[in-house]
Amino acid sequence: MKSRRDFLKRISAAALAAGAAPSILTWAFPQAQSVDVPGEDGMILRSFRFVDLETPVEYFNSWLTPVPHFFVRNHMHEPSELDPGDWRLALGGEVDKPITLNLADLSKIETHSVVNTLECAGNGRSLQRPQVPGVQWGKGAVSTARFSGPRLRDVLQRAGVKSTGKHVMFRGLDEVPGKVPPFIRSIPIEKALDADTLIATHMNGSPLSKHHGFPARALVPGWIGAASCKWLTEIKVLEAEFVGNFMSPAYRFPNQPVQPGDAVKPEDTHPLTALSVKSVIAGPADGASLKAGRVLVHGAAWAGEADITKVEISTDGGSTWNSANLDHEQSHYAWRLWSYDWKAGKIGDYTILSKATDSQGRTQPSTAAWNPSGYLYNAVDQVKIHVS
Amino acid sequence: MFPNVFRKAQQRFERARIEAAPQCPALSKIVIPTGASYPRRECEAEWRDLLFLARTLTVVALLASPFSAQAQKPATANVTADLPPGAMQAKATTACLECHEARIILQQRLSKAAWTKEVDKMTKWGAVVDPSDHDALIDYLSTNFSPDKPAYEPPRTSGSTKKSK
Repeated sequence: MKSRRDFLKRISAAALAAGAAPSILTWAFPQAQSVDVPGEDGMILRSFRFVDLETPVEYFNSWLTPVPHFFVRNHMHEPSELDPGDWRLALGGEVDKPITLNLADLSKIETHSVVNTLECAGNGRSLQRPQVPGVQWGKGAVSTARFSGPRLRDVLQRAGVKSTGKHVMFRGLDEVPGKVPPFIRSIPIEKALDADTLIATHMNGSPLSKHHGFPARALVPGWIGAASCKWLTEIKVLEAEFVGNFMSPAYRFPNQPVQPGDAVKPEDTHPLTALSVKSVIAGPADGASLKAGRVLVHGAAWAGEADITKVEISTDGGSTWNSANLDHEQSHYAWRLWSYDWKAGKIGDYTILSKATDSQGRTQPSTAAWNPSGYLYNAVDQVKIHVS
Repeated sequence: MFPNVFRKAQQRFERARIEAAPQCPALSKIVIPTGASYPRRECEAEWRDLLFLARTLTVVALLASPFSAQAQKPATANVTADLPPGAMQAKATTACLECHEARIILQQRLSKAAWTKEVDKMTKWGAVVDPSDHDALIDYLSTNFSPDKPAYEPPRTSGSTKKSK
């Protein structure tokens, strides 16, 4: 190593002597500059303020996503101050007895764990045509973790839900800039009382990090990420769906297919709930140049509240399909990693496609249903590679 | 067969690492013998050398700064980006970047009609836009960030060695 460093020193000195530093700098620091975000490693920086980080697809090779590689979606600024000792969760609305809990109270309630694939509703938005406004996510606003904490229903039972309670609203401690509407959303009471819906305090065995909602967040498994409100501070049982920007017009989907580019009236839409069936190719990378021979095509597939039953791979642009192997690690709301051993025999350009099917009989479409906000993009995935 | 077995072993290792010692920074730095999926860890030794080269070149750049403005370019990008030059740059910066950084804008590729809707929504949400600047601001955004422009290339994050927020 030492001699290698000496060699590098000599290169640098020579470069300086030749006045070539600027051109070498351009070479050494191409456009892929990095931005320091403590605790976040190799993520695609969609926005620094507020923080939006995308997981590169090459990280989709671990059933549980390490927290530093778990995508981050914030609608506004993270809470500037969070003292776990001062933190309180208020529970009210259509309940017999409004209550307030602190972290110690939560920790006394039986803990339940759910391995859940969390996906932002806007994942893949950048692939919609015509393009639509919003964070221009590629394929990686999705990750999987083991979330743990008390069941929401156990907490609700302590307050006693009245028969008039039909929806459950979450409010987080996000700091609202300007006159932006606060990030408040609600879920139907049936989903709130589901045994797998949590007030999560832990992720992969550790307390939640700040980016992921410390000290407590809702975890609504199988549903769009926006349902799982972070930095939870208030739960309110309502008679009807919450009325606010993040329930309407945001996070709604057209009731009927629309032509790309068409406007959609709010009354012709419904709130987004569960995720679609989807697969993504993690490797080989799009644009890769490979040697002929054995190539492992691999990736992840998920289907919200349904289970993945099949992932098919085409290495000839969709003419023929072969089943991929599904990895043994599975859990109801979690993605399945998959792989396909491909023998790339001939030199040339290839388009590799992946297509998932789920237990509800849904299959990834060749073209995603366009909608004005670019939600639930789930077209058959593809990478183009060259074999030499 | 072999790559698959190798990958599964790697996955088991990774899973055990995540679940067994999620808070241990030392363990999180373990070098995983891996396939192509973690290229940076696979080539950690080479990567350290590259890092060394990068640091050396940064020093070179600072020394060379009297000769070239470009040499002052830092190794890391600014945490927040700037809006492109133009007559409306300053006003757009005041109106938009009070609440969010420029990358939110830099990554959009929208028609003039879509930009008009965005500007009107943001004005309702607190962006201060003088009515006399309204049309010029939309022109600035829809000229710089139209659908025919190439996609924005976002930077990556570094920070794996620091404590999580």
